[in-house]
Amino acid sequence: MNKFPGNKFPRKTFIVARHEFLKTIKRKEFLFMTFLLPFLFAGITLLPVIFSGMSPIKDQKVGYIDMTDAFEFPEPIRSEGLSPGSSEAKTSAIEFVMYSDIFDARQALQAGQISSYLVIPEDFLESGTIELYSLEKEAPVSNFELSAELSGIVITSLLKDKVDEPTLNRVLDPVNIKFYNIEKSGESSGRGIADIFASFGLPILIAFLLLFSIFSSSGFLLRGVAEEKENRIIEILLSSVAPSEILTGKILGLGAVGLLQIGIWLAAVVVGSGYALPIKIEPNTLFFALVYFVLGFLFFASMMAGIGAITSSLQESQQIAGILSFAAALPLIFLQPIITNPDSSSSVFLSLFPLTSPVAMLTRMAVSSVPVYQILASVFILFVSVHGVILLSSRLFKAYLLMYGKRPKVKEILKNVWARSD
Amino acid sequence: MHILEFKSVSKSFSDKNILEDISFSVRQGEIFGLLGPNGAGKTTLIRLLLDILRPDSGEIRIYGDLLSPAAKDRIGYLPEERGLYRKTKLLDMLVYLAQLKGMPKKQAHLNAETLLNSLDLYQYKNKKVEELSKGMQQQVQFLSAIIHEPELIILDEPFYGLDPVITKAIKARILELRAAGKTIILSTHIMEQAQTLCDRILMLNKGRRVLYGLVDDIRKEYGKNSLIVEFAENADLNTIREISGIKKVVESGKFVEIFPEEGVNIQTLLEELVQRANLLRFEQALPSLNEIFIETLESAASE
Repeated sequence: MNKFPGNKFPRKTFIVARHEFLKTIKRKEFLFMTFLLPFLFAGITLLPVIFSGMSPIKDQKVGYIDMTDAFEFPEPIRSEGLSPGSSEAKTSAIEFVMYSDIFDARQALQAGQISSYLVIPEDFLESGTIELYSLEKEAPVSNFELSAELSGIVITSLLKDKVDEPTLNRVLDPVNIKFYNIEKSGESSGRGIADIFASFGLPILIAFLLLFSIFSSSGFLLRGVAEEKENRIIEILLSSVAPSEILTGKILGLGAVGLLQIGIWLAAVVVGSGYALPIKIEPNTLFFALVYFVLGFLFFASMMAGIGAITSSLQESQQIAGILSFAAALPLIFLQPIITNPDSSSSVFLSLFPLTSPVAMLTRMAVSSVPVYQILASVFILFVSVHGVILLSSRLFKAYLLMYGKRPKVKEILKNVWARSD
Repeated sequence: MHILEFKSVSKSFSDKNILEDISFSVRQGEIFGLLGPNGAGKTTLIRLLLDILRPDSGEIRIYGDLLSPAAKDRIGYLPEERGLYRKTKLLDMLVYLAQLKGMPKKQAHLNAETLLNSLDLYQYKNKKVEELSKGMQQQVQFLSAIIHEPELIILDEPFYGLDPVITKAIKARILELRAAGKTIILSTHIMEQAQTLCDRILMLNKGRRVLYGLVDDIRKEYGKNSLIVEFAENADLNTIREISGIKKVVESGKFVEIFPEEGVNIQTLLEELVQRANLLRFEQALPSLNEIFIETLESAASE
């Protein structure tokens, strides 16, 4: 006699999953992580650009005394900015003011009419040195910008009447590299800088988001288990639902949270870049990103669940989880070596080792063509590890969810893990 | 009909026997007391019958079948260690817990509202649990054990930490549930409660069954065959001791306890007493469960 027909095994798993999902997305921490993190991230990357763009907005006047009398300073010159060939409107402008002697220039500087002045000495052609004078308290104009400005002026002045205009332009802006890939069919396709970002930056970005999301959602899982253990509701749950159902439900629910979070972040990246990003990820990359997310999440989530089950307080569980998170963050520390040397033995190791493989392998795949057998091996190792960790965690879940107060000794835990309990 | 049956159930944790060869059965519609001192194995026994733990040996049957997930859905459980989702809305939490017991959402919603209404908690349904007073939380905890209309309700120390008003309310609820044909297992170490509420009991000590049966039968069995007598004014106990057939008279505050010799006619004894003093009370003394409990423990300890 079943009072509630249609009550099948997966239904409770689904109820747990839905509950966990709804509970988590209402958490302040989740909202913070999901909606403020992209802004923080964007802020960190955009702030320098904004600041460097902002300071020169007020026109700077720079005086100059040309002792060689060989240079033509345009008057006033609008700076051409950093990237040659770009048609964007420039925000910076340096106005050059000519002075015939140093004394006048110095007076103008002290009177605040100019922010600094240059002296081009008579032996400039031999030495290449230009002197820049400014008041102590005042920051001089951006060195980089001024240098670029002056180079243009010097080159133009020196070569103007000696070479034709195309040559002059080439000297001013020598090379723009355009990338081509020869495909197997023999056709070639052009790749601009955006394409390179798509094949290189985007997978790394995805790897980053993956890691963040795995951290945050498996962190929520840990918190959830530790809280339920701490406030004893776990006993009511266990009297209604099997431990494996609770574990599966939690992992599914929080996995959905993680996917939602990544979705929001990717959307933020797309919208934030003004749809300029060519989201032309290769299907391969997308496929493996998804595979690594799912496996990586399962790996960490079940590990966190096991930790949550063993420990008796939230604080304690977070300490242990911190150590594991550090291991997971290792690829970020080794990002530089992995990118510059994607096929070194340490890179290969990190991309095979289950704790680090999701991020390390995606990074490697972004910068070089990883042999297929290595990708398959990495996925296989991760898959087997996930299986092992889930098995282990569900045993810990069964054995320790109802133990409060004292943390079991490592020996006891191992005994419980290896002993076939049912 | 037996709703629950334990047959020679044993359970040990790392070589320590928690329950040894426990057999008992619970009948439909009764309040069954699970008694014993702390550490006797009550909570382990409850966890076994909820399938949270598995027995090492023996058999547990519910409604005649071995434990199954479907059977678990028909059990309600109030754990000794109370716990609720503190940050979840009252109604949402009750609905979730009922759903976990396999109840459809609509029905769970309806039941939650009805129950909250019956306890005048309806206006708090959208409040978070942590915003409720402690007394309210305790009542909500009780509701969470019965919201899915279980046929068997397990209450582990249900009165622990409750104030007298809420204790009374919950006692009334328990009797209501029994009147509605539900079966209740009441685990407690407070014997007075067991004596007033329970029909039958199982007493555990150190994982072993020490007493089992109808409360009245157990009390008679442990009866010392004594009489409780209360006099209107101070009576001369020496004249009473002279009555033939009285073995011993023990003064005990306002009343005295008289131990008659074997085979003495109680009616004759009463007549003798009436001639010597003004009686206020005369009754056959049955030991309280508490006395039996202590006696059992002491005899077990001296073994």
